[in-house]
Amino acid sequence: MKIAVLIKQVPGSDSTLPLNGDGSWIDDGLVTFVMNESDNYALEEGLQIREKIGDGEVVVVSMGPERVLRVIREGLAKGADRGIYLEESGQSETDPLSIAKSFASVLKDESFDLILTGLQSDDTGMGQTGVLLGELLGMSTATLGIETNIVSGAIRIKRELESGWFQWVKLPLPASVSIQSGINQPRYPSLKGIMGAKKKDIKVVSGSDHRTETKRQSLDRLFIPKADKQTEMIEGDADTVVARLVEILRSDLRVI
Amino acid sequence: MDILVVLEDNRGKVHRMSREAIAGAHKLAAVMDLSVGALAIGENADTLAKEVEKTKIKEILVIKNDLLASYNADGYAETLKQVIQQESPRFIIVGHTYQTRDYFPRVSAKLDIPFIPDITGFQYIGEDLVFNKPVFNAKLAADLKGKTDQVLISFQSAAYSEDEIEPGMSTIREISVDLDRSLVRSESEQPFQEEAGEIDLESADIIVSVGRGIEKKENLPIAFDLAKVLGGEIASSRPVVDSGWLPLFRQIGSSGQSVSPKLYFSLGISGAIQHVVGMKGSKSIIAVNKDPDAPIFEIADYAIVGDVLEIIPKLTDVLQTEKDK
Amino acid sequence: MIEREVLELDVLFVGAGPASLAGAIHLQRLLRASGQVASVGVLEKAAEVGGHSLSGAIVDPRSLRELFPDKSDDDFPFEAKVSEEHLYYLSGKRKVPFPFIPPSMSHHGCYVASLGKLTRWLGEICENEGVDIFCGFAGMELLYDGEQVIGVRTGDRGIDKNGVQKPQFEPGADIHAKVVILGEGTRGSLTKKLIHQHDLMDDRNPQVWAIGVKELWQMPAGSVQPGYVAHTMGFPLGHEIFGGAFIYGMENDIWNVGLVVGLDYKDPGVDPHHELQILKTHPWVRSLLEGGKMVAFGAKSLPEGGWYSVPKLSVSGAMLIGDSAGFMNGQRLKGIHLAMKSGTLAAETVAEALAKNRFNDTQLAAYESRLRSSWVRDELWEVRNFHQGFEHGLFSGLTNAAMGLITGGRGWGFKDRLTNGSGHDRMEKGRKKDRYNDLKFDGDYLFNKVTDIYHSATAHEEDQVPHLHVKDTNVCITECAEEYGNPCKNFCPADVYEMVPDGDSQKLQINFSNCVHCKTCDIMDPYQIIDWVPPEGGDGPAWINL
Repeated sequence: MKIAVLIKQVPGSDSTLPLNGDGSWIDDGLVTFVMNESDNYALEEGLQIREKIGDGEVVVVSMGPERVLRVIREGLAKGADRGIYLEESGQSETDPLSIAKSFASVLKDESFDLILTGLQSDDTGMGQTGVLLGELLGMSTATLGIETNIVSGAIRIKRELESGWFQWVKLPLPASVSIQSGINQPRYPSLKGIMGAKKKDIKVVSGSDHRTETKRQSLDRLFIPKADKQTEMIEGDADTVVARLVEILRSDLRVI
Repeated sequence: MDILVVLEDNRGKVHRMSREAIAGAHKLAAVMDLSVGALAIGENADTLAKEVEKTKIKEILVIKNDLLASYNADGYAETLKQVIQQESPRFIIVGHTYQTRDYFPRVSAKLDIPFIPDITGFQYIGEDLVFNKPVFNAKLAADLKGKTDQVLISFQSAAYSEDEIEPGMSTIREISVDLDRSLVRSESEQPFQEEAGEIDLESADIIVSVGRGIEKKENLPIAFDLAKVLGGEIASSRPVVDSGWLPLFRQIGSSGQSVSPKLYFSLGISGAIQHVVGMKGSKSIIAVNKDPDAPIFEIADYAIVGDVLEIIPKLTDVLQTEKDK
Repeated sequence: MIEREVLELDVLFVGAGPASLAGAIHLQRLLRASGQVASVGVLEKAAEVGGHSLSGAIVDPRSLRELFPDKSDDDFPFEAKVSEEHLYYLSGKRKVPFPFIPPSMSHHGCYVASLGKLTRWLGEICENEGVDIFCGFAGMELLYDGEQVIGVRTGDRGIDKNGVQKPQFEPGADIHAKVVILGEGTRGSLTKKLIHQHDLMDDRNPQVWAIGVKELWQMPAGSVQPGYVAHTMGFPLGHEIFGGAFIYGMENDIWNVGLVVGLDYKDPGVDPHHELQILKTHPWVRSLLEGGKMVAFGAKSLPEGGWYSVPKLSVSGAMLIGDSAGFMNGQRLKGIHLAMKSGTLAAETVAEALAKNRFNDTQLAAYESRLRSSWVRDELWEVRNFHQGFEHGLFSGLTNAAMGLITGGRGWGFKDRLTNGSGHDRMEKGRKKDRYNDLKFDGDYLFNKVTDIYHSATAHEEDQVPHLHVKDTNVCITECAEEYGNPCKNFCPADVYEMVPDGDSQKLQINFSNCVHCKTCDIMDPYQIIDWVPPEGGDGPAWINL
């Protein structure tokens, strides 16, 4: 079984996020980068599926500037068999359709049975790449997988729905599934894994070979959300405060 | 129609976020002078349509097809694609729900038009329509623009309020789409509920959050009771979790969860930056703290300098009495 | 149940700092030149090389030039050559320049640098030389075969806060190596064990340290001159506390502002983080930082003891290099070049040992001999009594230093070796004046610890046993509270230690997640009951250019 896991390198949740000169993106130079959290869970799920079947390969795929090779190697150190790296050194790609088309052009000839992606990235959080890619490659799709099960020629996915509801869905392979954080316990890379990663193959695809020039949407500007809050100080004794709060909850916020 | 709002079926009723989407659509329509239509799909399509027919929606399209009786990505995506091709709306709008996230990208790829998700607002500047989206776990915000004549949009929960829906009168029209049985490849089982394990605080509308100001574990019921009467979830700042009073998944902040509920009711939380980054995207913030210099007051909409232990039980009592009436 | 991984290497360096990386690079070249084949690995507890590296710094390019004779200074990842240097005495409001700077204290010809940047640069070269750098792995214990060190066991991963194994539990790996070289940096945890186990401080002065706390400030374009260097004494520490401030101009309009505080002060109320904030209230410092924004914070201890507190440097199967061995020139405030040199000298010793296949104490002792006949010794010899002079205050210290300058390092001009006690022993019982009464954190310019820590991008796996082991927490509530007022709350720059109400009494709460791995608590705790051990691998600060 051939499994591809799409991995994105994103700023760590504790990293500073300084804006660049014209506010069009963040200043990469001062940022700590990590593997996107839900992608890590997707990778673990892929590795576990391969282990359960006893056969097959897990390929980690990523796109970005040279620094993303780190997350590919991390994936290899954890047990993926090989990697595919799509060079993209321009300003961070923010159009999910263009990103999906790039991946589609590179992955279509490999005939993957299963594509796993994290639910969404911790940078732009557009949450679409896996499903877009699935559609472009003619695969069936599902999102928010919190449990998976391979049955012959198909995959069963337990999907998380709102408010504590769940639903099992069975998709024929090939399928593209997005994975929710918490689905499993991601393994740590072993020392031998780190050593062995250096010997595994990483295919490099240059920007000109995969890039789509026409964008369907753009992220024009990043900014710090304005705190133009008008704070109302509620004063008085407890009863006065409570009365005002009830009014606010009823009339202003309409939660009661 | 210029704007098409797709109504989501929430167990036989129109999903709250679809109603909010209608409100958002009305705002967009007003600014750009556009007409609004709606679409209902599935076995409850008629009921859904009836539910919103007294609003300012020109026409509600209803599709009943046994391949669409209940939600499936293949069927719904193909259906919406055909409707868009038939009706040519400029904007196709939904609430950003688990369901729309599942099939909207399919439509995007089928029609090669962008899906701009999780929007909190928009500005129409000159000729440009700019959508706002929180990014980097709401630490920053972004301006997004579509580059095609048609765009798919989803609004974040509580970005708009259903109270802002404009009243009116709609006509309901049944239409059909061309679907082949082989199109629907998935087999779905019945949805079911599970014992609440780790609560998804991110989807809670109301959060009552406690900090050190609650003083001891024994006082937590004060917060629990308020949450119960408001129908909200309990969360906390880091020190409460560190002291073992609440489990880790309740923690809000840079090393916990990020939330942006309709209402964040903060009790005895100082507002250290590590906590604030996890909740400042909340639509409304009420903060109670004894310390007048607490940084939380800088981001609160309503600030009360006072004793949580005194004020909150009284508030809960009054609210409970109102509720019981 | 996952089995313990066992890895066989020939040489293992612990800590991917300048000492180990220079050592590993040099070793690989020596092995290649002699046709030997050996596997060399470096263990690093941070998630990335450079993540836990922090220094001022001003680097003497000597070691880099030796290690890379084909490169010119322009090839090294420095910020800028020192373009101007100042030495000031500060009072609360004024600054008085020193009349002149003695040549041996001058930074002329040296470079302002970020240790994180330098370490990352060395790390890349090291990996290209074929060395495996294992990030995210902490060295927890030394492995022995009798008296011989035969390797290192890394920390377990996946244990929850109650000590119970989580589903992804993995026991630490055993890395067997013929030689283990400890380059853990200041107050290394394995180094601490090795020193204790083999009595390596016998006959030496006790080690003493200082803590450096710093903030990076992003200034408007064009307002910072890269290569600007200023050091100060006096305000805010006064004359009784060893230390002083440094202000360096970095590239990209960054002011690098820090304060070094000797960890041998008497007043248990001293709070190095707060002292840094007070430094910023000086009108001159305020004028420099006007219009800027604080973008990063960090803290780390540094060895100050000097030559006579360097431990015995090797045992069978293990050696000490860099800050772990205490090679820091306190007078010049430089240690990186010494660390790198010590690493290369260790490498030479190891290459020889590999050729002879002998790794006992006698064989490895060649490292110490090499060191003693190198310029490391020459340089440290000249300042061997520097720190000790400050035991009696600032002016004594300066007088002693001045006399040292003209007598080649003699204490008070005539004594070959001055002794000192341990820093934590000098702490006096009973609080002195409250130094921080007037300190108000505004969150814009003066920051409390919690806000500063947020800017150190420090994170730890939340669900683990705290890595700060306090041997007897009763002492905290009883003796220490009474005698010293729980100084851990003060000397820790990260608000890790807090005394919180517990019914009618108090208890110690350890907010380990804030820890920046500076080791100050392990050093300064007056009862010496705090044992700093590495947390789960990969945890801790994520510094970029500190």
